[in-house]
Amino acid sequence: MKWVTWENVGVDRMACAWLIRKHIDPKATFLFVPKGTSELPKGAEPFDIPGVRLSHRRGHCSFHTMLDEYKLTDAVLRRIARIVDEADTVQVVTVEPAAAGLDFICDGLRLTSPDDATALERGGLVYDALYARLAADAKQGGSK
Amino acid sequence: MVTSNRSHTRDCVSIVKPKHATEGATAWLLLAYKVPREPTSARVYVWRKMKQLGALALQDAVWVLPATSRTQEQFQWLEAEIVELGGEVTLWTAQPASENQGQSLQQQFEQQVDVEYREILDQLKKKARDLTALSRRYQQAHSRDFFQSELGQKVRQALLAAEGESKR
Repeated sequence: MKWVTWENVGVDRMACAWLIRKHIDPKATFLFVPKGTSELPKGAEPFDIPGVRLSHRRGHCSFHTMLDEYKLTDAVLRRIARIVDEADTVQVVTVEPAAAGLDFICDGLRLTSPDDATALERGGLVYDALYARLAADAKQGGSK
Repeated sequence: MVTSNRSHTRDCVSIVKPKHATEGATAWLLLAYKVPREPTSARVYVWRKMKQLGALALQDAVWVLPATSRTQEQFQWLEAEIVELGGEVTLWTAQPASENQGQSLQQQFEQQVDVEYREILDQLKKKARDLTALSRRYQQAHSRDFFQSELGQKVRQALLAAEGESKR
């Protein structure tokens, strides 16, 4: 299946693409359109674009919306959603110190990648790592 | 919805604003919005977000931020949220008609963040100071420091120095 988002990917879109590949559509291919484009290619599911189904909702990031839409209840994914919320948008309450660092690293990945597709691939490594770290926490029953 | 044009977006890809950007050459984001009178929580919510982003209200009518890829993204999502709350919103990128206006706008942003920085410096002078809380406040202020205030550097140094003292 084809998925489409705005070019110049960052923390939220890297998280979404990782989630799509891992839990929704292992054979996903990603298309990129310039920021601000409202005409989207037909036959591709748009994500993290204002106004589409898989977008920010009630102050939460698109990754968070995707968990809801695809009924993914894994506690570790939920924790990642909170981190991406804090990394991607201004939140009144901040409880995830990893958020700011994650945001910087994802921005940096885009800067060091030749194109958006590569940036998403590399971002996947970061989210694999984040998931593994948080899953290890969860196993120990701690939150640190 | 008014969205920025493509070439502009390209120009704003750099994450960190160059310190010595040509005077008056900063592009600005202007956001005008209206949300329903009720519930009041929606109005408070949007206002609080503006404050957190460090946006300034011009003539209590239009909210403004210097245009960077980050602020553009933040405003664009806020735009979507305002629509979600049943409001109306327009977002523009703009250049002031005169250099003076751009400079005075920049000064207003500098003053706004310097107030926060000065409060932290004052708190740091006190004996019973909470370094953890103050460093957190510094981080928050820093996220609204769009023009790299020198005072911000001073606060950072003061916090690090204070940490050094407390380790002795």
